[in-house]
Amino acid sequence: MPLVRREPGKPQPDAGTEAADLRSADPERRRRAVRGLGRALDRNPEAAETLTGLLATEPDPTVREAILSSLVGHHDPRTAQALLPLLRSQDAGLRNGASEALQAMPDAVRPHLPGLLADDDPDVRILAADLARGLPAREASALLCDMLDRETHVNACAAAIDVLAETGTPDALGTLRAVAGRFPGEPFLAFAVSVAIARIEGSGG
Amino acid sequence: MARDIPGQPASDTVAVTDAEFERLCAFLYRRSGLSYGETKRYFVERRLRDRMAATGARSFQAYFGKLATDPGEVERLINAFTVNETYFYREEHQFRCLTGSLLDRIVARKPAGSPIRIWAIPCATGEEPYSIAIWLLENWPKVDEWDIEIIGSDIDTRVLKAAEAGLYSTRALMRLPEVLVAKYFRRTPAGFLIDEALRGSVRFTRANVVDAAEMGRYRGFDVVFCRNLLIYFDEVSRRQAAENIYDSLEPGGYVCLGHTESMSRISSLFRVRRFPEAIVYQKPAAPDDD
Repeated sequence: MPLVRREPGKPQPDAGTEAADLRSADPERRRRAVRGLGRALDRNPEAAETLTGLLATEPDPTVREAILSSLVGHHDPRTAQALLPLLRSQDAGLRNGASEALQAMPDAVRPHLPGLLADDDPDVRILAADLARGLPAREASALLCDMLDRETHVNACAAAIDVLAETGTPDALGTLRAVAGRFPGEPFLAFAVSVAIARIEGSGG
Repeated sequence: MARDIPGQPASDTVAVTDAEFERLCAFLYRRSGLSYGETKRYFVERRLRDRMAATGARSFQAYFGKLATDPGEVERLINAFTVNETYFYREEHQFRCLTGSLLDRIVARKPAGSPIRIWAIPCATGEEPYSIAIWLLENWPKVDEWDIEIIGSDIDTRVLKAAEAGLYSTRALMRLPEVLVAKYFRRTPAGFLIDEALRGSVRFTRANVVDAAEMGRYRGFDVVFCRNLLIYFDEVSRRQAAENIYDSLEPGGYVCLGHTESMSRISSLFRVRRFPEAIVYQKPAAPDDD
C-alpha cells in the first residue's frame, strides 16, 4: 500500500525572537520571530510596542499579517493606542489591517472613538464608524447618531448608516430620518437610510 | 456516577450565575479557542452539568477548582464541547479536487522520493482521513508512484481513540458506495470495522489548532483539510488558526475548508484558487506563483 504512517514531527523549540531575527532579510525568518514574540505577549506586554513599531515599516504581507494576528489577541490599551495612527496610513493594506485589529479590541478602542468620529480626516471617520460595530448596540448607536448629527461628508454618513443598519437601536430613528433630508442629491443615501430604518423597526428594538 | 447528598442539590439543578457562566466561557476559550456567549448558554450549561454530575461536584466552585488541578478533567470538559458528527465521503467534491487538480500540481514541484503529506484537522472519529485514503487508492492513478502520509488530528482525545479503533455505524457509511464498503470494511457484531491496512496507514494525534506552540510540530504538509472547525471560533481564534495552518503548509500547499467557510474573510495570507471541482486556498509558493 502506498500509504505510509509516520509521526507528524517533533515539537519545535520556540523560534528565535532576537532583534537580529526581526531584522532578518528573510521574510520567513522575520515571520517566525514575530510569531515567537506574539506568543510571549502575555508574559512580556512591552513586546506589543515592538510589534506595532515593526508594522509601519514591514514590507512583507505575510509578516505583517503575523504581527496583526498577534496584536489582535492582545487587548491592551497601549496596543490600541499604537495602532490608531495606522488608520491614517497611505497604505490601504496597512490601514485596513489596523482597522480589523482594532475592531477585535472594542474595550481598548472605546475611549478613542469619540475623537476618531470627529477627526478632521473623513477617511478616519469612515474607519471609526466601522470600529463602533464592536461596541454594545446602544453605545454604538449613540456615538454614531452624535456623529451623524454633525457629519457633512456623504461617505462618512454612509459608513455610519451601514453600521446602524446592523446595530442601531430605536433611539437612532430620528437622526436617520434627518440625515436623509440633508443630502437630497444623493439617492443612495436615502436608500441606505430606508434600509437601516426598516431593519431597526423590524428588529423590535 | 454522582450520588445525591441529602440537603444538597443534584448537579442538574445547580444554578449557574452570570459570573460563573462567563468564567467558564473564558476558560474554555483560553484552552480550546471555542467561543460561546449568552446565546449558547443552554448548550454550555447542559455540558457543564453533565461534567459536574460525572465528577460528583456539588457546586460550580467545586468543579472549577477541580479544573485547576486535574488536566484530565480539562480534557474531558473540552471533549464534551466538541462536535463530532460526520460521515465518509462528506463534501466529496473536495476529494475530486484533490485528485483532479491539486495533486498533479503538488507532484510537479515535489522532489522525487519525498512524500505527499495530507493533514485532516479536525479528524473527529476518523471518517475524513480514512475517506481521503480510500479516495486516493480508488481515484488517483499515480497513487503507487508516491509515498503518501495521512495524519488526522483533533483536540478531542476521546474521538481519537475511536478513530484508531476504526469501527463505524451504517449511518457513517451512508455516502460510501456498497462496493467500497465491501472492499474496505468488515462487518462485525459491533459495526463495520475498517480494513486493517488502512487503519495502520493513518496516524492520529491530538492537536489544538489555535495553540501556536503545539502546532509547531506540524510542518511540511501539502494539503490541509480543515473543514467546519473555524465556524466555531471567534475572529481572534480564527486568525490564530489561519496563521498556524499557513505555517504548517509547504509553499504552494493547499487548505480545504467547509463549504460555508471562507479563508478570505479570516486572513489575507492565502490565495483563492478556483478549480473545476472546488474552491480552495493556497499558500503562495513565490511572489509570482499562480
